[in-house]
Amino acid sequence: MNNTAVATKRHASLSLILVYIFVVLALIWAVVPLIWMILSSLKTQAGMFSMPPKFFFKPTFQTYHIMFSSTGHFGHYLLNSVLASVGSTLISLVLGTLGGWAIARGNFKREKDISFWVISTRMAPIPAVMLPLYLLFSKLGLIGTMVGLIFAYTTFNLPFALWIMMTFFKDIPPALEEAAMVDGCTKFRAFYRVTLPMAAPGLVATGILCLMFAWNDYAFASVFTSTASQTVPVAASLLVSQQGIQWGQAMSTGTVIMAPMVIAGLFVRKYLVRGLSMGAVK
Amino acid sequence: MATKLSETETITPVAQPKKARQKSANITERWMLMPSVILLAIISFIPLFYMIYSSFMNYMINPDQPTFYHFHNWAVTFHDSAFWLSWGRTATYAISGLVLEFLLGTALALAIYRLPWGQNIVTTIWMLPLFVAPIVTGLLGRFLVNSTYGLYAWVLQLLGVHTEILGNTLTAMPALILMDMWEWTPLITIIVLAGLQAMPEEPLEAADVDGAHYWDKLRYVILPLIARPLLVAVLVRSMDILRYVDTIMITTEGGPADATKTIGYYLVQIAFQFQDFGRAAAVGLTMLVITILIGQLFVRAFTRGEQQ
Repeated sequence: MNNTAVATKRHASLSLILVYIFVVLALIWAVVPLIWMILSSLKTQAGMFSMPPKFFFKPTFQTYHIMFSSTGHFGHYLLNSVLASVGSTLISLVLGTLGGWAIARGNFKREKDISFWVISTRMAPIPAVMLPLYLLFSKLGLIGTMVGLIFAYTTFNLPFALWIMMTFFKDIPPALEEAAMVDGCTKFRAFYRVTLPMAAPGLVATGILCLMFAWNDYAFASVFTSTASQTVPVAASLLVSQQGIQWGQAMSTGTVIMAPMVIAGLFVRKYLVRGLSMGAVK
Repeated sequence: MATKLSETETITPVAQPKKARQKSANITERWMLMPSVILLAIISFIPLFYMIYSSFMNYMINPDQPTFYHFHNWAVTFHDSAFWLSWGRTATYAISGLVLEFLLGTALALAIYRLPWGQNIVTTIWMLPLFVAPIVTGLLGRFLVNSTYGLYAWVLQLLGVHTEILGNTLTAMPALILMDMWEWTPLITIIVLAGLQAMPEEPLEAADVDGAHYWDKLRYVILPLIARPLLVAVLVRSMDILRYVDTIMITTEGGPADATKTIGYYLVQIAFQFQDFGRAAAVGLTMLVITILIGQLFVRAFTRGEQQ
């Protein structure tokens, strides 16, 4: 009896060691590309390509200088990226919050159909969505405009915001709104004053995810923008040419694209799980 | 028959006023849902109908004034071997990607769940790739496996593997699958981990008392308890893996020798390189049908699970 207990204990600690090894290997796999990107962005051209790779070196901010110097249009692209992603996030968040609450509280006959419609809009393949939008936009003269890009991003952000906000509102008991209505509030006022503040963390997480999807988009932006309306991911892709790739610039551009999303994502980490899993983990 | 009749008789008088009450009670909700529904209709139905219309039109001769083309686009599409080969590659890409991500993601979630401390910090580091733009993932992938100066290529060369990974028909597809795994396996992990953390404790304790082996516990207690999050993880990923083309657009552009030309990239090529919008519309519709079918399949699975 005692012997088996010792054996089980030894077995448990051995398996825990294996668990540790597995987790550490996975973490190395996850972060090495990111660390390598940041390190490479701080290297000189020669240092970047040296073989065997250099792990210790004197950092230089040359590529960042070039990126933001007056010759490049990076600042302009950055502004486009901010405008398009913030614009589409705001529209999606406002409409998604109102609509999400309505689906969560209302008594719609075809709620299941509405839900499925919403989610299938979000999950439609990007190339399949891109094509009809491109044809419509070229008829309406929206190619190369900010309005067009904001509209394009809203095709995936609105259904997402609707769905997630609906699941957040379903978690908040309607009793509080009912109490407010007994006290004389209208339904909308009860939603606005009582439920909305309670859903604020969900609202922030949804907003950050919408921002991230729009900010990271390349496919839509590559088709719907012209030189003047290019976004940062498109700018990064332009560093790839027939003659080769400007790797130094590509690595610093990649770092600049990634940094704000990582910071924002970690900031609302707690609520992201629900957002990324479309609210279905319960 | 008689019972059925009496049922309807008793329900009808009650249901009628209730329905009316619901309708009036729903006014605020209706108004609040309206803008979303209108916008969603504009961005989903109009493009859909336009795509169906386009699939019967000829855009090639005069793109501004397409003419009726009968079923020509559809016939060309279904007779094009490249179309079927692209679907085949998509299936390879999606299925192997999904299986590997699912196994690795779930295994890692179970591992993290067993850690006595540091679960949060490990999860935080592990989910970093999720925030990276797919195009940056692609650029990074190209940089890391470049045979003359890539870090990963260097490691592989130390192990005796010398090849231009993205330029080799045998290795390009696995490399793309690995990029997808790097970016999205964390998504599976955090969904499954959330499911594990929400698991009730009693069944696990009961299994411990019975002296159950870890694998038995996993098979008979843990996995059934987290079936729903597992299903959600597969649903979200199976649709997203068909959704994105960014990484392929920036890495291989379908090459070498079409080895990575998935259906999404095939569509992009027909539409934006060959400007054959009618044919591209037909291809796009096949993609939509497949995703909706997958979606319906999962909705079925869910409602069956809920009824039990």
